[in-house]
Amino acid sequence: MALPVLICDDSLLARKQVRKSLPESFDAEFQTAGNGLEALTILRAQEIGLVFLDLTMPELDGIGVLEAIKAESIDCFVIVISADIQPEMKKRVMELGALAFIHKPVNEDKLHSILKQYGLI
Amino acid sequence: MSTLGFSEEQRDCLQEIINVAMGLASDKLARFLNTFVHLQVPSIALVGASHIPAEFENRYQDTEAALVSQGFFGNEGVRGEAIVLYQMENAHKISALLGYEVGDVSEIEMLTDISSILTTTFLNGLADQIENSLSYSAPRVLSSVKGDMSSLLRNTSFHWEHALKVDISYQLVDHSFNCDMILLIPGEAVTNIQRILDRILEDY
Repeated sequence: MALPVLICDDSLLARKQVRKSLPESFDAEFQTAGNGLEALTILRAQEIGLVFLDLTMPELDGIGVLEAIKAESIDCFVIVISADIQPEMKKRVMELGALAFIHKPVNEDKLHSILKQYGLI
Repeated sequence: MSTLGFSEEQRDCLQEIINVAMGLASDKLARFLNTFVHLQVPSIALVGASHIPAEFENRYQDTEAALVSQGFFGNEGVRGEAIVLYQMENAHKISALLGYEVGDVSEIEMLTDISSILTTTFLNGLADQIENSLSYSAPRVLSSVKGDMSSLLRNTSFHWEHALKVDISYQLVDHSFNCDMILLIPGEAVTNIQRILDRILEDY
């Protein structure tokens, strides 16, 4: 069964980059969100298995999304894909329950190995 | 942003490339200052270089300020001059953080270091993503007393056609630090950049 996946990034290019970096064998149904608020609306209304989440976004940033997911016990995996690569940011993101923290621009091999590690491909 | 020749897709692409480059520069800056930097999405705008003095007049006119400029050259006609503008008030905050005395001669050296981190890390990050590589000339620092920033800007920008303004705002843990980065580029560089952006867009 296809995995419901949400790609959340304010940049169209970044959303396409994520999509293109996923292996062909990855059976998913994609939705996209352009900021954190849009992402939360989708996450509250639907069952989403996996979220690819950007951090620096208008309206509500990725940290805000992670905090809401945690506070509302929304059941989904989150992989953060971020231009903000400071070690302290990674620490914060991991403490908030993200599966992984990947630097932008997204590296295909790194993404595949994380998906494999969690049995998503 | 003014759409001077950029399509919405090209603008989005350039913005994302700039965000990634900015992330690299912030990480370097955070390590240099040994603090955490809150990253904000920089706003970018492409304007005629002749508008630059007027655009920045208000922000820098009534204050002591400094301008650090550095030339860059790459393949495919990508070249220009990167300038970073600081209000000295902001620079003093960083000096204090690094343990300099305000007004210390080495404050200028510190500004040169920070500008170099900001511009070369930023531009290298940008160049990597467009599969280019850049060389740099040595940075040049020009200080301004109250009131003469626009003439400094006029002298620096007059022989360039276009300017890509990147409004950078760093929020350090307990103080804010703002500066402006402006990339002055010739007309043909804009066309070259557009061609490169289109090539990236074609891949997706």
